[in-house]
Amino acid sequence: MKALRSPALGFLMALPPVLLVVAFVGLPIVTAALFSLGRTDGLNQVIAMIGQNVHKPEAGQFFTIGAYQQIFADVRFVPDLVLTLSVTAIVTLVVLLIAVSLGLLLKLRGGWLPNLLTGLSVVPLFIPVVIAAWAILMFYAQDGFVRSFLSLFGINGPTWGYTSVSIVLGNIWTSLPFAVLMVGSGFQSIPDSMIEAAKDSGASLIAVIRRILIPMAGVPITIATTFTAIGVLGSFTVAYFTGPNTPQMLGVELNNFFVGFNQPQQAQVLAFVIFFFASAIAATYVWANFRTAKDSGRV
Amino acid sequence: MKPITLTRAVQTTLLTVFAFLLTVFILGPLVWLAIRAFATTRTYPNLLPDGWTLHWWDVVFNDSSMQSAIINSLVISPVVVVASAIICLPAAYAFSRFTFFGRKTFLVVLFAVNSFPKMGLFAAMASMFYALNLMGTFIGVVIVQILGTVIFMTWIPAAAFSSVAPSLEEAARDAGASRFRVFFSVTLRLAMPGILVAMVMSFLAAFDEAQGTYLVGAPTFFTMPTAMYSMVQNYPPQVSAVFSILLSIPSVLLMLAARKHILGGQLAEGFQIR
Repeated sequence: MKALRSPALGFLMALPPVLLVVAFVGLPIVTAALFSLGRTDGLNQVIAMIGQNVHKPEAGQFFTIGAYQQIFADVRFVPDLVLTLSVTAIVTLVVLLIAVSLGLLLKLRGGWLPNLLTGLSVVPLFIPVVIAAWAILMFYAQDGFVRSFLSLFGINGPTWGYTSVSIVLGNIWTSLPFAVLMVGSGFQSIPDSMIEAAKDSGASLIAVIRRILIPMAGVPITIATTFTAIGVLGSFTVAYFTGPNTPQMLGVELNNFFVGFNQPQQAQVLAFVIFFFASAIAATYVWANFRTAKDSGRV
Repeated sequence: MKPITLTRAVQTTLLTVFAFLLTVFILGPLVWLAIRAFATTRTYPNLLPDGWTLHWWDVVFNDSSMQSAIINSLVISPVVVVASAIICLPAAYAFSRFTFFGRKTFLVVLFAVNSFPKMGLFAAMASMFYALNLMGTFIGVVIVQILGTVIFMTWIPAAAFSSVAPSLEEAARDAGASRFRVFFSVTLRLAMPGILVAMVMSFLAAFDEAQGTYLVGAPTFFTMPTAMYSMVQNYPPQVSAVFSILLSIPSVLLMLAARKHILGGQLAEGFQIR
């Protein structure tokens, strides 16, 4: 097979998806960045014509930060940002807690129940997000299951539909499968002999978890964390269906500016705000991955 | 030995509570929604509906716009999966078996697609699609949906190809098999579970894609998820419940088919850069 492994051939074979992504993701992001800074020429001509309230640079200037100033000065921006970041943090934390608990149960205890629960938590992967969002809204609505069920016991239950609580619950629901699969397989790949050895030399269960299991599944846990956080940060559907009118997730606000207010430039500014936080998280992921790959001599 | 049995009992109780809450949290909304599809009306705070009916199924099956949405979805998603496989599988093989200039950069570029908010991307893509005359076209919708499948179709199969030991391929070569024979009956066959998982994930990503499809496809191409958006706002909840069940059927069938491999770690394995 040696003759086949020429670097040039590998490069050519890898090119098509990269070109696709560069053309239909990379290029639009670059033109969007230019548009958000006031460039209305080239590919931005049509959208600048259609859009309302487009900021253009003054004569003799190349760029303007007018659209950014407008968004940052908007009274909704700070509450939206706070909501988005807190929902992201809470969802990521809860999802990771459930995923790690399930993974540990499966590894240390085993049996049918942990297996069943793992299978169960993968179910949301196969339910389209639109349906999930709508089902969750009805479940926690004013006349939904939670309130109906609690009223059987004479309890006046909370209405979570159209509040930030249902955004959190909905995002936990949709994010769970990936994290459970990722973290679970991370724990499964740790040899049992290692845990036995530690136990034989007197390590407590807590010590085994803290000193062996969690560190050895470090990479899958990092991957699960970053994917969950990035997903929630830019999420739209769940918050669009189940969230309150104000404050809103930045993803929903972006949609408002683009579709509702017909202000595409301002929508792009919001996209870059989300992108800024997402790339910070993504950088952690890439760094963690390559660091361990280097440690084990794979790179 | 008393304290040990006590902690065991506490453990079991905690586990049972955890299992119960998780089950209600995950399945509850789905069951609650499914009941609606067969309900006449429901009066709060009763748990069960006032009566049972199949009327809402008639409404969905007799609505031509919903029929065309179902057909569109069932045609477009497989086309997307096949196109994505043709574009991405050779690349996955290259990532696994070749070392070449830019390999790591390529992997990171393919991953980076996920960190830009989708709605922002589609908004940016719109001006380009206008310029290329792709708005409202079949190809335009396919391109939008392929973008969400690229990471699954490159990363997961790449990991699957990597897990095939080169020594197996060499042994087959030594036994006189041709290069193509080795690829098709050794490498490809052993990597098949991973490729299958990649195809299932790609199908789900394409089938589920609503925002970009709406932006590019409407008003010519409505798929099931895009139809669902307007239905929730314009029809009684029971109709959306029926549609939800229909919309879940392909996914659930795929889940049953690929369950073993997805739970077996093929998906998780694919997301570690090597």
